[in-house]
Amino acid sequence: MPAAVRDSTISPPSGERRSDMEFDMTKPVPEVQPWSEKFWEGTKEGKLLIQVCKDCKSKIFYPRKYCPECWSGNLDWIEGSGRAKIYSFSTAYSMVEPKFMDELPYTIAYVDLEEGIRMMTRIVDCEPADIAIGMDVEVIFHERGGFYLPYFRPVRQ
Amino acid sequence: MSKGKIAIVGIGEVPTANMPTRTHWDIIYDTCMEAVKDAGLHKNDIEGVVSVSPQAQPKITAELSFGKLPEELGLKGCKDTVSCNAGGASTSNCLRMAEQWIHSGIAKAVLVQHVTVHSTIPLADQINFFAKAGVDLQWEYPYGTTYNIIMGLMANRFMHESGCTPEQMASVVTALRSWASRDPNSFFYKKDVPSVEKVLSSDLLNTPLHKRESNVLGDGGCAMVVVSAEDAQKMKRPAAYKLGDSVRYFSGTCVMRDFKKVEEGFRVTAREAMAQAGITKEDVSIWNCYLAYPLAHPLVAELLEVAPPGKAGQYFLEGRMSFGGDIPWSTIGDAPGRGHTGSGVSAAHYVETARQLMGKAGERQVKNCRYVYQNAGGGSGFNNIATIWGKEI
Repeated sequence: MPAAVRDSTISPPSGERRSDMEFDMTKPVPEVQPWSEKFWEGTKEGKLLIQVCKDCKSKIFYPRKYCPECWSGNLDWIEGSGRAKIYSFSTAYSMVEPKFMDELPYTIAYVDLEEGIRMMTRIVDCEPADIAIGMDVEVIFHERGGFYLPYFRPVRQ
Repeated sequence: MSKGKIAIVGIGEVPTANMPTRTHWDIIYDTCMEAVKDAGLHKNDIEGVVSVSPQAQPKITAELSFGKLPEELGLKGCKDTVSCNAGGASTSNCLRMAEQWIHSGIAKAVLVQHVTVHSTIPLADQINFFAKAGVDLQWEYPYGTTYNIIMGLMANRFMHESGCTPEQMASVVTALRSWASRDPNSFFYKKDVPSVEKVLSSDLLNTPLHKRESNVLGDGGCAMVVVSAEDAQKMKRPAAYKLGDSVRYFSGTCVMRDFKKVEEGFRVTAREAMAQAGITKEDVSIWNCYLAYPLAHPLVAELLEVAPPGKAGQYFLEGRMSFGGDIPWSTIGDAPGRGHTGSGVSAAHYVETARQLMGKAGERQVKNCRYVYQNAGGGSGFNNIATIWGKEI
């Protein structure tokens, strides 16, 4: 598997060391491409949009300029249900990018949407110990820097 | 690639250690000169130089890609030089470039090298580089993911499906460090091998990854001299012959990674490389697996059919992959034992493969070492390249 990694020698600095270094602590927002603008506009309206190919009917994630299946530019969007199941997750307790230190602990997950695509997201509104693979979750939107990131929370029974 | 076209006939290496006083060029001189001498060649016999591109070190990367190495070492016979960056798969591709040069007639002897000095990179620059390396800036990074978390996602799913326990996962560190503690070039040479309990009692970084299941960055470097298999035979020196290879691409973005496709990719590349080499898995003397994180090792041990499904964790816990066990596995300790030298970990793995086949591995020498499985993976795992190396054609 993989190559370059985060590791203990480059763990986020202590408070003292951080003051010695100039970190840009601005939380990152998505680096949007022209063809993914619609996705992020949708999240502002509380919609989880999924790109689809009108020619081969593929559901596309992440959004592309052309369909990755048939190279058609005849693309459109549908609104997803916002419901998903957790495929895997990992709860972070330390050694994250300094920009996110104030949010620890937090849980990153892969979730499988009902529409058949997989996203990376955060699981919120529950204790990390209660999160499990296969759990049913639903989308909510979290604002950051003018963007509305799709997060997921357990489906309320 | 067909069987037995090239061979590694010389190796050079410096110990992995954080030594800020040891510059990039200091390491390059020592490793390259050692490799050329080990091959029994003169410096002017080297007709091509291929460098593994260092990660997060723009100055040395630029110097190498702008052709300074042959000039610095006075390689008067050098006809061309190039750098290659495919992340952790760079070394495999450097060897392919050497192979192409040798068989197209450009060069009879090619020097392949890697150098890394992490310790002089300002901490903020390190954090900024590695925070984004291999992480998609639109679909992953904004959520606060990291390389460690991506590994945690994979490991949690594997544990869910296989039933592998935290104790079994932690025992991989023990296994890898048991080899590293006997390797003079490893970061943890002569250091205590942590017990399973010690691994599990270290800080939890992100589930299920503990601090001792992560990696420590290190400085290091190594070099190899490659010639045609025919010339290697004529040189009558210990050599490692490339007998087969196979590769599959998976995906560049972690969230797009189809785990089943990855699993099948590991299986099929191993089968294809072994078929090309004319061997079976029973013939493999060492499984030299470069996976960077210990948590990936049980999964791959099962994919390579070294362990039956659901049993790899138990194999590691029983010490079967440890020094002295019956399944020699990652005999430099992979990145957790060697110290993480970026793409240099894969270069070090290849040097170890050659060293074992040459019979120069000292205390770690695997008896009757005849065939070695060696893999490399690029970036955050976009592909897997499997190669088979042998003591003879």
